[in-house]
Formats: sequence, structure tokens, C-alpha cells
Amino acid sequence: MMALRLGAILFGAALFLALPTVSDQGIVFLAGLVVIEAIFALSWNLLFGFTGLASFGHAAFFAIGAYLTGYGLKAGLGVPFLGLIAASGLLGALVAALTGLVLLRRTTGIHLAIFTLALAEVLRIVIGYSTLLGREDGLASIPKPTLELGFATIPLTSGTAYYYFMCVAGLVIGAVLWVVCHGPYGRLLVSIRQDPQRVAFLGVNVGRKRLQAFILSGAVAAIAGALYAPWAQIVTPESAHWIHSTQPMLASLLGGAHSFWGPVVGTVLFSIINYLTRNLVGLSELVIGATLLIIVLAAPSGVIGLVRTAQQRWSRRRKSGAGPDGDEGGSVRS
Amino acid sequence: MTAILSVEGVDKSYGTHHILKSVSLTVEDGETFAVIGPNGAGKTTLFKVMTGEIGFERGRIVYDGRDVSRAPAHERARLGMGRTFQVARIFPDVTVADNLTVAVEARRRSRGESAPAWYRVATRADIRAEVEARLLDVGLADKAAVEAKFLSHGDKKRLEFGIALAGRPRILMLDEPTAGMSPTDRIATADLIARLRAETGLTVVMTEHDMDVIFGLADRILVMNYGEIIAVGSIEEVRANPLVREVYLGQEIYHAER
Ligand SMILES: Nc1ncnc2c1ncn2[C@@H]1O[C@H](COP(=O)(O)OP(=O)(O)OP(=O)(O)O)[C@@H](O)[C@H]1O
Ligand SMILES: [Mg+2]
Repeated sequence: MMALRLGAILFGAALFLALPTVSDQGIVFLAGLVVIEAIFALSWNLLFGFTGLASFGHAAFFAIGAYLTGYGLKAGLGVPFLGLIAASGLLGALVAALTGLVLLRRTTGIHLAIFTLALAEVLRIVIGYSTLLGREDGLASIPKPTLELGFATIPLTSGTAYYYFMCVAGLVIGAVLWVVCHGPYGRLLVSIRQDPQRVAFLGVNVGRKRLQAFILSGAVAAIAGALYAPWAQIVTPESAHWIHSTQPMLASLLGGAHSFWGPVVGTVLFSIINYLTRNLVGLSELVIGATLLIIVLAAPSGVIGLVRTAQQRWSRRRKSGAGPDGDEGGSVRS
Repeated sequence: MTAILSVEGVDKSYGTHHILKSVSLTVEDGETFAVIGPNGAGKTTLFKVMTGEIGFERGRIVYDGRDVSRAPAHERARLGMGRTFQVARIFPDVTVADNLTVAVEARRRSRGESAPAWYRVATRADIRAEVEARLLDVGLADKAAVEAKFLSHGDKKRLEFGIALAGRPRILMLDEPTAGMSPTDRIATADLIARLRAETGLTVVMTEHDMDVIFGLADRILVMNYGEIIAVGSIEEVRANPLVREVYLGQEIYHAER
């Protein structure tokens, strides 16, 4: 199990790194979007799959980061790129803290979902009226930045250079989130998802932990948006649209919301389906819809759950009934 | 003897349904205090009120000299109140060991003891040792790696007991700790409670329908009926009480032996 997982991660990383040398720009552009959407999906699933909170308006955080960084680069404010990314994360965290303080006080479950959805739509409409942010047209021709590290200056103005920067950023963010989810903090969040009241009787202020997770999730979603602005070079109010909010949900459900890598696997699969069906109008929706239906009905724990079950069955057959294996197979957080 | 917990004139209603009617009681430090009564008497409701799961309309609750009437559940837990539920509540999707690990870590963090930082992915050795000790306490050492949802009913109860113990409570409130257990498991659980009490001076408040368990453990008994206290006292006093005789007419309370 461990070897399989590690192999899959290394193979995936190698594939992404080799892409610019073996394929055309169009594919590299899509691969960059996959990296961004995968980070976005991880941020959403930290809330849903780990903490048990469903946000239906997560694209709002994404848009906050995308607009902040897009505006900063376009207006030539002279703020270093890493500074813009950090500012995006902070703004996302701040907005999450303010909304979370109000929303998480009483509402979880369906109420939280509806409230976040409504707030995100409000944000999208407000952006559409904002002249500073380009109204409905958004911010166009956002320049790609230069990375200033103090000891070195790396231009990210070429598509390939920026692509590699995103790969590194994705790896770093993925690694940090992995540690968060697999350490004592993640263990606590998973417990809160399963039975918040039981956790309260362990002496934990559940409301505060939920708020923390909400803030962290908002910050990471905003950072995904910040990475997006110079890659697409245009940011429109569509980035805050509820349809964009559904993307991480669908990806997490497809890949497996109770597994850390589920949202990443789901994002990759969705992009592949979209790519293969790109010339047939309406077919991609049909295939995605059908795939989701099958997954939800036949494999509620997503593609990763399917792989895990198959793996367990295989290893059990090899041991030919040596009793339940000690592996944590099927456990939530692997 | 000093009082560790007192309930003073508490009233609790669900809508128009008056469940607890001016209930008052005092639990002494170190004693085992049993609450008994027929189904629907309000025992679980009393537990919920004492532990902070639900609020109440009138009266107050004093724990260890401080008024905790408005304190949320997690604060009462930090002050040393532990509890189990009538229907065992555990974390079904993770292993038995992880159920206890999260409880140990939560206690350490909330009481300012040494707790692992968020980035410690491998469970720390001292935490593992403590988890192991709790596993041995409740007899689940051989099931440490099993996902908790696959446990039998009795084992779930035991695991929940272990979770409560991991919080190192001063007062432990057990809502029917042996309900649905086999007779052997009942005896094992009663023995465990007795042992912990002897080792740590734990105060226990429990409800139970099994009179053998009650008579074997309780120092004092409180009898409830329709949300009212009808008797408090030693086993003999309670048995001799005419009101109790009426409620428990011909039942095991008069057959079970101490
Ligand atoms: N959430 C609730 N809403 C409304 N009524 C409730 C609720 N919970 C309990 N009750 C009612 O309160 C009364 C007391 O219930 P409680 O669970 O405290 O009894 P109990 O003494 O624990 O009984 P048992 O021995 O069956 O566990 C019952 O009549 C029950 O129907
Ligand atoms: Mg009850």
C-alpha cells in the first residue's frame, strides 16, 4: 500500500515535470490549471473530508486571491510576487475568519452550505460592479511576474518557467497540507467530523477548531487563486461563480473525500475527461455526470476507495485468509 | 468528606414536557453515587444537564466549588468531568488505538501538559505508551488496529470507557456502562470501575438498570421517578423506603444480593 502510494505520487510528479518537453503549449496550460485546481480542491476537502464542514461558495476565496494578485501585477505596484501570494493568503484567511466567526457560531451542515453559497454570489456581483476590478470584463492582460528571492532573481515571464514555479508551489502546499492532515491536528479534525459532541467532551473547543480549519482552508484557496491570475493572465467574476465552487466538490467526491489525495486524483480525472471530450459539445458534461453517478452509487469512497478495496482483496487472497490484516487499510486519512 | 458536585434545584423541560422537577443532589469526593429509576425517569437528562450537554431553566450546578451552570461542555471536561453516553459514542472510521490517541492528545493540550506539535506525524512514544496503558485497562489491546466501527457492542462500550479514562477525570459520569453487555463483560466492567476507583480515588456517578452492578459498586443511591427524587441514601435505607417499594414493587432491587 505504502509503496503503491509513493510510486503513484512520484510517477505523477515526474509526469508533470516532464510535460513541457514532450507536449504542446495547450496541454501544458491545462496541466497548470490542474495544479491550481488540485490545490483548490485540497483546500476545500480539508473542510469537508476532514472537518465535516461543507462550503458551497469556496470559489469566493479563490477569486479574492486571484483578483488581489492580478491587480497587484497589472497595476505594477512593485510588490514582489511572493509578497502578493502571501497577501492573497492573508486576505483569504481574514475573510474566512470574519465569515467563519459569524457563520460557524450556529450553523453547520446544510445551513453553512447555503450561507457560503449566497455570500460567494454576493461577492461575484459586487466584483461585477467594481470599476477598479474591470466590472464584468475582469482584469485582462495580467503580466507574468519575476521571482525575487533576495539572493537571486528568476524571471517567470515565460510560460514554462511559470509552469515549473507552480509545480514547486503545488508540491510545497501539498506537503504542508499532508502533514497538517496526518499529524495530531488532522487526527482531531477527523474526530470532529465523526462526532463533534464527543470531541467537546474530550475538552476541545470544537467551534474554535472549526474556525481554524475554515481560516486555513480559505487561505489556501486564495493562494490557489493567486497562482491562477498570472497563469491565465485574465481574471473574471466567473472565478467566483458557484459553478467554480462545485469543481472541488466534484473532484473530491470522484477521487474520494475521506482520503487526502482524493481531490487531486479527482481533479486530474476530470481534466482528462474534459480534454478527451472537448470537441463534442455536451459530451463532457454527460460523461462527467455519468461518472459521478456511478461513483456515488457504487463507490461512495471514490476512486481511491476503489483502488484500496481492490488492493486489500488482492493482498488478502495472497495471504489466503490469514485473518484481518494489521494494515490500516480503508482508514480515513491515508 | 467534601462535596465535589452539587445540583441545586434544577428544572429542565423539553417544550411543555417538564422532565426534571427541582432536582437537588450532592456527590461527595471519592464516592460512587448511583442514580436509578424506571425508564423515562429522567436519569439521562440529569446526566446531560450535569455534563453541560444541554442547558436548563432554573437552579445551578456547582463543581469543585465553582458555579459551572453556564460553562460549556468542553470547559467542564477540562475541569475534570468525564463521561460516557448511554449509547456508546466512539469515532467509528478510525482504529481503536486512534480513538484513544486523540483523547490522550486532547487532554494533554487542554490541561497544558506536554502535547505533540501539529507537524509530528508519527505518534510520539509517550503518547503511544499512554494509549497502550488504556488499551490494557479496558482489555482491547489485541484489537488496537481494528477500525472501531467493526467492534462488537460490548467492545464499543469498553472503548468509550477507555476514551473517558484517557481524559484523566476526577469525576466520571457513566450512563448505563454495562447496558447490552454479556454477563461476563458486566462483571469485567464492574471490576474495572472498582479497581480504578481504588487506584485513583475517582469519584463515580452512574446510572444502571443492573442491580447487581449497582449493589456491588454504589456507596449511595438516588432513586428518581417522573423527574423527582423519591429517595437518597445507602442501599439499606433506599430498600426500606416505602416510596421506593411502590415504584420497584416486586422487582430485582429486593432480590439481588450485595
Ligand atoms: N430530546 C428530547 N426531547 C423531548 N423529550 C425528551 C428528549 N429526551 C428525553 N425526553 C423525554 O424525557 C423523559 C426522560 O428521558 P431520559 O432519557 O432522561 O430517561 P432515562 O431515565 O434516562 O430513561 P432510560 O432508563 O430509558 O434511559 C422521557 O419521557 C423522554 O421521552
Ligand atoms: Mg437513560
